Amino acid sequence: MKVSILVKTIVFYAALACVFFGSCTKGKTNYEAERGDVIEENTEFKEVSNAVTANYTVSIEALNGVLYRGYNDIRVRIKNTQTNTPVEVSDLTFLPIRTTVIGEKSSCPNRYNFDYKSADKYFSGYTVFTSESDAVGSWALYINFTVGNQSFSLIKEVSVRQQPNKNLNMTTFTGLDDEQYVIALIAPQKPNVAENKLVAGIYKLNRALDPSAEGPADQLQFSYSQVERYTLKLDPRMPEPSMGNHSSPNNRDLLQDTDGLYHGVVNYTMTGNWTLNFILLNPVGKVIRGTEVPKDFTPGVEGRKSELHLDILF
Amino acid sequence: MKKLSLVLFILSLGLDVNGQIAPVKRDTTRRLGEVKVDATIKRKIESDMKMAVSVDEFLASSDNISFIKRGAYAWEPLLNNMSTERSTITIDGMHIFGACTDKMDPITSYVESNNLSSVDIKSGQEGSMHGATVAGSIDLKRRSTPFGLQQKVGGAYQTGFEFNNKQAFNLGNLFYSTDNFVADGSIAFRKAGNYYDGNNKEVLHSQYNKLNASLGLAYKTSPLSAIRVDAIFDRAKDVGFPALPMDLWLSRAIITSASYKQLFEQGLVKVWDTKVYFNAVEHYMDDTTRPENLVHMDMPGWSTTYGLVSKINLKKDRYSSEVQFNAYDNLSIAEMRMYPQDRSKQTMFAYSWPWVTTRFASMAMNNSWEISGRSKVNLGGSLGWNYNYSKYVEFNWIFHPGAPQKKNRWLPSLHASYELNLNQFDISLGTGFGHRAPSVSEAYGYYIYNSFDRYDYIGNPDLKNEISYEGNASVGFKTEKLSIAAKVNYFYINNYIIGRILSLGSPMNYQSVGVKGYTSLSKATLFNTAINVDYKILDNLHWKGVLTYARGKDDEGGNLPFIRPLSYQTSLHYGYKKLGLRTSLNGDFAQTNYSPIYGEDLTGAYKIWNLSADYSFNLGKLKSVFQVGAENLLNEYYSTYADWGNIPRMGRNIFTSLKVNF
Repeated sequence: MKVSILVKTIVFYAALACVFFGSCTKGKTNYEAERGDVIEENTEFKEVSNAVTANYTVSIEALNGVLYRGYNDIRVRIKNTQTNTPVEVSDLTFLPIRTTVIGEKSSCPNRYNFDYKSADKYFSGYTVFTSESDAVGSWALYINFTVGNQSFSLIKEVSVRQQPNKNLNMTTFTGLDDEQYVIALIAPQKPNVAENKLVAGIYKLNRALDPSAEGPADQLQFSYSQVERYTLKLDPRMPEPSMGNHSSPNNRDLLQDTDGLYHGVVNYTMTGNWTLNFILLNPVGKVIRGTEVPKDFTPGVEGRKSELHLDILF
Repeated sequence: MKKLSLVLFILSLGLDVNGQIAPVKRDTTRRLGEVKVDATIKRKIESDMKMAVSVDEFLASSDNISFIKRGAYAWEPLLNNMSTERSTITIDGMHIFGACTDKMDPITSYVESNNLSSVDIKSGQEGSMHGATVAGSIDLKRRSTPFGLQQKVGGAYQTGFEFNNKQAFNLGNLFYSTDNFVADGSIAFRKAGNYYDGNNKEVLHSQYNKLNASLGLAYKTSPLSAIRVDAIFDRAKDVGFPALPMDLWLSRAIITSASYKQLFEQGLVKVWDTKVYFNAVEHYMDDTTRPENLVHMDMPGWSTTYGLVSKINLKKDRYSSEVQFNAYDNLSIAEMRMYPQDRSKQTMFAYSWPWVTTRFASMAMNNSWEISGRSKVNLGGSLGWNYNYSKYVEFNWIFHPGAPQKKNRWLPSLHASYELNLNQFDISLGTGFGHRAPSVSEAYGYYIYNSFDRYDYIGNPDLKNEISYEGNASVGFKTEKLSIAAKVNYFYINNYIIGRILSLGSPMNYQSVGVKGYTSLSKATLFNTAINVDYKILDNLHWKGVLTYARGKDDEGGNLPFIRPLSYQTSLHYGYKKLGLRTSLNGDFAQTNYSPIYGEDLTGAYKIWNLSADYSFNLGKLKSVFQVGAENLLNEYYSTYADWGNIPRMGRNIFTSLKVNF
C-alpha cells in the first residue's frame, strides 16, 4: 500500500520535472529581436531612381532605396546605357530643389560637388531633405556631370518620405541670432542600451541670396552651409512621466570633427522613448537655441524638454 | 525512528570550531548511507520552542545567524553579520544561486524543514571547503535514509495551524529501505495569509503559499558503494513582500543531483564521494497587486547552475583529512520591463543582470592532527578560480566605459586552528585568510533597486577581490550541570564591497532616490561575540541563555549596516513524563550603532516572550506529539534592525501542531 503511494509519488515528480525542464513559465526576452521590432536597420544601398541622358544611365542610390526627410547618404553611379559599364566621369554636381505649387523654389543642406570613390566607381554625397514630398511641394534632383569635355545635365523628380526611424530625426529652427538652422541626426541608426556614438549634421541657411543671379541652381547651391566650430550640448532624458526625468551618465556634448559633422556620446540606459535635449552654442559660447532642463528626479511628472530637442525611440 | 535520529543527528549546541572528522566505524561501513563523515556542526531541524519550524525559523535559533526580513517569507540569512554574498550557501554541497536581483529568494527558501536532516554552519575560512567565502558557509544537509533498516517503510506526518497569519501547513515524508535500495520522499504545503502586528493591524502583502517536494533514490552497487539520485522541487506562489513595492507571483526551483559514493575499509582513503548536479530557478516578481504603483513593471529572473563536487576523506592514525574539488557554471539573467501609462506605447526594457556567466573551480583541503588526547591542530586551505562573462557588457559600459567583458580571478584561502582540552576547559584559537570574488550583482548588476535605502545599485566589473583576515577564539567550561561557552571572532576585510552614492546618473525606478555604485572600501572590520550558558537546574529542568554582540566599522570608523545590536535569548525547559513545557524570552537592545548613510535609522529595543507545551502520546501504534504554544505572548509591537522599511513583525501568534511518526 505504502509502496504504491511511493511509486505514484515518483511518477508524479518525474512528470513535474519533465514539465519543468520543458520550458520556463515566462520566456526570456530575445534582446536582439526586441530592438529589431522597433527599428529596421538599413545598411544596404539600393537604387532610388534612374534617369537616362544621352547615352548614359544615371542611377541614384540611397539606403533601402528610399529618400527620407532628414539626413540621407547618397550615391550616384553613371553607366553607359548600351554596354552597362561604368563611365569615366570627371565631375558631378547634385542639387535637390523643392518646388511648391505656387512656384517657389528652395533647396536644403546638401553636398553640391560629389566625391568620386574610384575603387567602387560611384559618386558620394549627402542631402538633408527638410520636408517630405507632399501636396504642397515636390522635390527634384538637378544633376550635372562631365564626361571628357562634354557636360550633361538632368532633372529627376524624386519622392521624399517620412523617416520612420526616430533615431534619424531632424529639426529646423530659428536661432537667437535670427539665423535659420537645421540639425539632423546621422547616427546611431540603431542604438543600443549602451554607450552610443551620436553624430549630427548642423547647417545654417545662408541669407542674402541674390535674386538677380542667373539660374536658380546657381544660387540655391549656396543656400545652406555647415556651421563651423559650434557646440551642441546634450542632455538625454526619458520623458515618460513614470520615468521621472531619468537620465544617463557619461554623455558627451557634440563637437565638430574633421569630417565637418558633430560627434558626441549618448548613453541609453534602457529601451523606450528618449528626448535628446540640446543647447546650441556658437564658437564664442553664446547660446543660439535651447534651454537647460531640470535635472531633478521627479516621478510622475513628464520631463520638461529643452526648446531645442529631438525625440527618439528604440 | 528515534534510534535512527540518534544515529543521524549529532546535536551540538553551539558552533564547534574544529573541522573534525568522525572516525568511520566498521559497523557503519556495513550500513552505507548512515555514514556521516563530515560530522561537525549538525543541528536538528527543530528549534527549542517549536517542533514544526520553517527553515528560516530554525536558522534563527543559531547564534551566529541573523536575518534580513522583507516580509514573512524567504528571509536572507546573515552569517557573522555578513550578507549572503560573503557566505557560501549550499544544499549538500551543491551551489545554487537565487534568481532574484533583490535577494528575495535565498537558497534557504528552496528547501523545507522536512527534507533536511541538519544544517552545517562553519564560521569564516573554515567554510571555504565549498567555495570562496569571507563569512563562512551554511550547508543544508538533505535527509537520507540508511540502507537495510529494520523498519522497511516509515515516515512522518505533521500538520499544524498558526493563528496569527492563518498559516496552515502539512508536511509529510516517507521512506522505503531495503538492503540495497532506498527511497525517500517528502512533500510540504504551507499557506499563510497576512499577519497582524503587535497593534493588531494587518500587515498587507505578507501572505505566502509554498509547495515543496523531494525525492531521493539510492541503490547499493556493492557492499561498499552506492549511487543516489535526488531531486527537490519547490514552488512559491503569491508571496507578499510588505517592505517592497512588488510581490512574488511565482518562483520555482528544480534541484537535481546524481552521486556515487565509495567506501574503503583499508588504506588511507576512507570515502570517495562524487556528485554531479543541475539546478534551475525561475523567479517572477509582480506588481499588479499594487495598484498604487506609478509604473507597471515586470521583473523576471532566471538562474541555471551545473556543477560537480567530489571529495575524499583520508585517515591514518591521528591524522585525518578531507579534500574537495568543486566546479560549477552558473548563468544569471534578470530583466526589467517598464510599461508606460499608455500601454500601446513602446515598453522600456533593460537587463538588471545582463546574462552573466560565472564559472568557478576550487580545490580545498582540510587536515587535522591529534597531537595528543587533549590537543589538536587543524590546517586547511583552498585555491579557487572564478571567471565571469557578461554577454551584454554594453550595459555595464554605461557606468564603467571599457570594463572587460571577461574577468578571471584567483581566490586563495588558508586557515589554521588549535584546540586544547584542559580538564573542564575547552580552548580553541584560530586564524584565517581568504579572498572572495564580487557577486553577480556587485560586479554586473544594473539599476537594481534596493528598497531598504531606496537606491538603484550599479555593479562594477573591475571591483577587486575582497580579502579577509580573521582571528577567532573560544573558551568552554563544562561540568555535569553547567556548560558555558564564549566565542569571539574578528574580521579585518580589505576592499570591502559596499554601495556608495554615485554623482553620476539618475534613478530608473520611480521609488528610488538616487544611484549607488558598488565600490570597495579600503577596509572594514567586524567583531562578533557570543556567550552560551546551559544549566541543568534539575534533571528535568534546564535553563539556557545566549548573549550575542557584534560591531562593524567601515574605513572611516563609521558603522556598517545590518550589524545586530546586543541581543539575548533565554529559555527554560521543564519535562514531566510525557509533557514538556518551555518558555523563552528573547530580544535585541536598541541599535545605537546604526548607519544612516546605508539607510538605517535607530531601531528601538524589543523583547519577545514565548511559551509552549507539548505532549507525547500513542495513537494506536503511532508515536505522536501534540504541541501548542504562543510566540510574542505579550503582543509587542516591534521591528528589528534588519527589517526593511521598519515593517512591524508579527504580533501574538498561537501555534498548534501535531506530528505522527509511523
